[in-house]
Amino acid sequence: MSKRTATYASGDSGVSEGVIDPVSLGKPSRASAAQPGEPLLVVEDLRVQFTRGGRKINAVNGLSYELTPGSMMAIIGESGSGKSVSSRALMGLLPPTAKITGSVRFEGRELIGMPERDMRALRGGDIAMVFQDPARSLNPTMKIGAQITEAVKLHSDLDKKGAHARAVELLKLVRLPAAERRFHEYPHQLSGGMRQRVMIAIALAGEPRLLIADEATTALDVTTQAQIMELLVELQQRLGMAVIMISHDLGLAASYAQDVVVMYAGRAVEHAPTGTLFANVRMPYTHALLGAIPALDREPHSLFEVTPGQPPDLSALPKGCPFRPRCPNATDKCLDDPPLTEHEPEHWWACWHPVGSGLGNDPGPRAGTGPLDPAVAADDPGLADGPDEAAGPGRHHTPNGEQR
Amino acid sequence: MAVVEPAPSFSLGPEIDQAEAKAGGRGRGRWRNNLGTWIPAGLILFVLVACFLGPTLLSLPSPVGGNILESNQPALSPGHILGTDPNGNDILSRLLNGGRSSLWIAVAVNLIGLAIGGTLGALSGYVGGIADTIIMRLLDVLIAFPSLVLTLAVAQALGPSMTNTIFALAFFSIPAFARVARSAVLRLREMPFMAAAQLSGTTARRMLFKHLAPNIAPQLITFGMLGMGIVIIIEGALSFLGLGIPDPAPSWGNMVATGQLSLSATPMLVVWPSVALLVTVLAFNLLGENLRARWSGR
Amino acid sequence: MTATATTPRVPADSRGPRASRVGRVTGSPVLRLVVKRLLMAIPIMLGVTVLTFWVLSLIPGNAAQQLLGPEATPEDIALLEQQLGLDKPGVVRYLEWLQGAVTGDLGQSIVSRQPVSEILSQRLPVTGEIVLLAFVVSLVLAIPVALLAAHKPDGVMDRISMVVSTLGLSVANYVLALLLVLVFAVTLGWLPAIGFVPLEDGLWPNLRSMILPSAAIGLPLFCFYTRFLRGDLVDQMQQEEYVTTARAKGVGSWSVLIKHAFRNSSFGLITIVGLNLGALIGGTVIIEQIFALPGIGQMLLQAINTRDFVVVQAAVVIFALVAVLANLIVDLLYAVLDPRIRYGSS
Repeated sequence: MSKRTATYASGDSGVSEGVIDPVSLGKPSRASAAQPGEPLLVVEDLRVQFTRGGRKINAVNGLSYELTPGSMMAIIGESGSGKSVSSRALMGLLPPTAKITGSVRFEGRELIGMPERDMRALRGGDIAMVFQDPARSLNPTMKIGAQITEAVKLHSDLDKKGAHARAVELLKLVRLPAAERRFHEYPHQLSGGMRQRVMIAIALAGEPRLLIADEATTALDVTTQAQIMELLVELQQRLGMAVIMISHDLGLAASYAQDVVVMYAGRAVEHAPTGTLFANVRMPYTHALLGAIPALDREPHSLFEVTPGQPPDLSALPKGCPFRPRCPNATDKCLDDPPLTEHEPEHWWACWHPVGSGLGNDPGPRAGTGPLDPAVAADDPGLADGPDEAAGPGRHHTPNGEQR
Repeated sequence: MAVVEPAPSFSLGPEIDQAEAKAGGRGRGRWRNNLGTWIPAGLILFVLVACFLGPTLLSLPSPVGGNILESNQPALSPGHILGTDPNGNDILSRLLNGGRSSLWIAVAVNLIGLAIGGTLGALSGYVGGIADTIIMRLLDVLIAFPSLVLTLAVAQALGPSMTNTIFALAFFSIPAFARVARSAVLRLREMPFMAAAQLSGTTARRMLFKHLAPNIAPQLITFGMLGMGIVIIIEGALSFLGLGIPDPAPSWGNMVATGQLSLSATPMLVVWPSVALLVTVLAFNLLGENLRARWSGR
Repeated sequence: MTATATTPRVPADSRGPRASRVGRVTGSPVLRLVVKRLLMAIPIMLGVTVLTFWVLSLIPGNAAQQLLGPEATPEDIALLEQQLGLDKPGVVRYLEWLQGAVTGDLGQSIVSRQPVSEILSQRLPVTGEIVLLAFVVSLVLAIPVALLAAHKPDGVMDRISMVVSTLGLSVANYVLALLLVLVFAVTLGWLPAIGFVPLEDGLWPNLRSMILPSAAIGLPLFCFYTRFLRGDLVDQMQQEEYVTTARAKGVGSWSVLIKHAFRNSSFGLITIVGLNLGALIGGTVIIEQIFALPGIGQMLLQAINTRDFVVVQAAVVIFALVAVLANLIVDLLYAVLDPRIRYGSS
């Protein structure tokens, strides 16, 4: 293990800057496919439903957001918030049993319901994805060179020799030390950080305009995590591609992303530019997430604020705001679904009693103990309505095109 | 059984897996899953009732000592629904009585395997160390030994009879059950709750009976279902070779073997016991597969 | 996983630990592996032969009694026992046999006085041909069927293959053999019901005599492999992240299945095939009996009946050796094919 780290640490010096012309990686003819100022990706009321043994699991419930070309956006949420599923849905990577509705427009083209044939050209071409665990995401029985070359060939007309050269070029672009030699190695011979670089190289093979990094640094140690994030930011700027980073780590998002979308129970609950969000958190859920981050200015030995309760049961969402059972500010009004609205310029949230609005952060008039107790609510059929009603269409407002 | 399993589960990372766990692990395809269990179970029950109670309920003639004058009667002849064999015995009676011995043997062999092999394997896996190595090497020898060869030798050595057939077949069910039990225990040993129980000073006895046994039981029972099918087939093979149930007494295996002699003239003599074998083994396999699918929790 | 559909009863510890155990070997992994496995095979072979001797000693009656018949006087029997060396204690006889066996001399038949090696050279090719045919045909059929089934889990092909393989796995091979004879030999008259035509009498007559026996062994095998491979492929497709990576690259569904998933599933298939081989050879006994084929299995049955223990011992050694060697070959194939082991990394 120590050997691997050593090899890795010496890596970045192995490639001289400027050997690769970043321009050669762009596709000039396509550069202006979208009108200037128009968003690269518009997600509108995206819903994903799985049926398992007669129970409907609503993994995504009316997710809406927009992505500016060339920007880096973070989607934050805990396990089960639908952040991963929503990104796989727009890539068409979900199993056929998933029911996907809503709209996802990429450069004006609708992706939901797009024929598999067209989708395949898009996957790994215009939209690429990097996954969480590089140890599992690479085929263990194929040399890494072959895995990159496969992607290159799928999205270009290069012959074998050209594809090989291009693959090595990509490995150098992601700063894999000794790229020529590594080309002929298998994934298990590489360290975690190097494998993730290979994954990024594969993702870049199709010269994507959008790269989705799904918890791409979660499985890595902290040092490597920073190096990979720096690489992603650098590539994003050099190649002019947009990046969606999916993470449960609010701190990581704060350091690198320009925009942050916070997801809960399959929908966006707060959405703002990073600076705005952290200066002025409004959604109690985001507030709770922030309270769970260790910080140096925290009083020693002080207790972290823990969000009480469990993430919602996606097959039986509570009526109204999904965070209601865990929310310190909840009142009876929260039985109505709060829409995601642009309450302040560029700052969207879905809450009736946002932090700092009077009810504030104080324990507040918690809405009763009886009917709103999460345990009771879950058991009471009257309150815990079927998912379809809880997340029924037209119930909430979507940011549509009015944003920015 | 997989034929009736609902759409396979896709792992979508923790998010959906968690959602699925919440939706209740067993809830998935409850109705169809139950059907997959109840149909083979019902079939097995039918075979059991037919073989053990059928001859009495239908007041069938004795399976042996038939009147040679009534030999080779066709099906649906008076008093013989399936007709008679060359010795004048009622085929249905032989079929049901033969099934009775096949099932007895299969149950006995699997119970012996479960009791001795299961205990041996579980202990071996739990204790580990040299004892484990020695036990497993010995079992390796038995496994490397071609099963039919040893059974043949044992059957020859002891002479054909029902008890000796059980004894011969137990030679295989013991190491097989031991292997299953051992690997189940080895997997369990890695589980956090085992370490927790050990750390909290649980006695070895309690460990075995409270923590190990209930957790490996489903796997052993599932294996036992599949084992029923295997034993019925091997017992048939032994009887087929004349080393199982000795001749005048019926068994599905020796019925197939004697039927083979006049295959072209009276093929039904082979077909009836073959169908009985197939249906019974199929039912046990389906039940075993279905239990496996349910208990593996996927 | 629906892949619980894998009826194949693989010992649970046959895959993972194998890889990790082998993985720890450093230096020249392949060579050390061979040596290690061969060393491990020695106690197993010793155990198998001792066990055989012991079991055979339990069988009442010996070759002398069988040769001379029921009317022989005890004096005659004692004399013949002495001539055949059957009067010596079992331990001595085993050690004498072992001494010969390690130098490659398996002795001579007590009954026919023919050297065992000579008998084996006549018998082995017959059994070998049946097994080889069964293996090749079952694999050649199973791989495409499993791929078709796994491409659309729960689709039409999947369901058909599942029903067929479930039936095929529940049918005893002797029953299948008789049903095949009933249909193809008795009713249709296309193929001979019994008998063996050696290769010297022409390839086609030889193959004709081998088709039904090979099918009786190969069809259940085909079901077994189809079931296993289909289950493993579906597992790979649904649970492995590298498959998602491949799809995210834009690779088509058939290419993902064949180029990515099958490549990984093939390791499991190799294990299964290897583990199977030993059991399969034993299973030929009854098939050779039904089709009157002069193979090892038939030889074994005859030898048991005549108490020709030298020949029985030889048959058991061959069976056990095949099982042990098949395991060794599987390990070697792993070492050669799987890069994780080839490079001896953990």
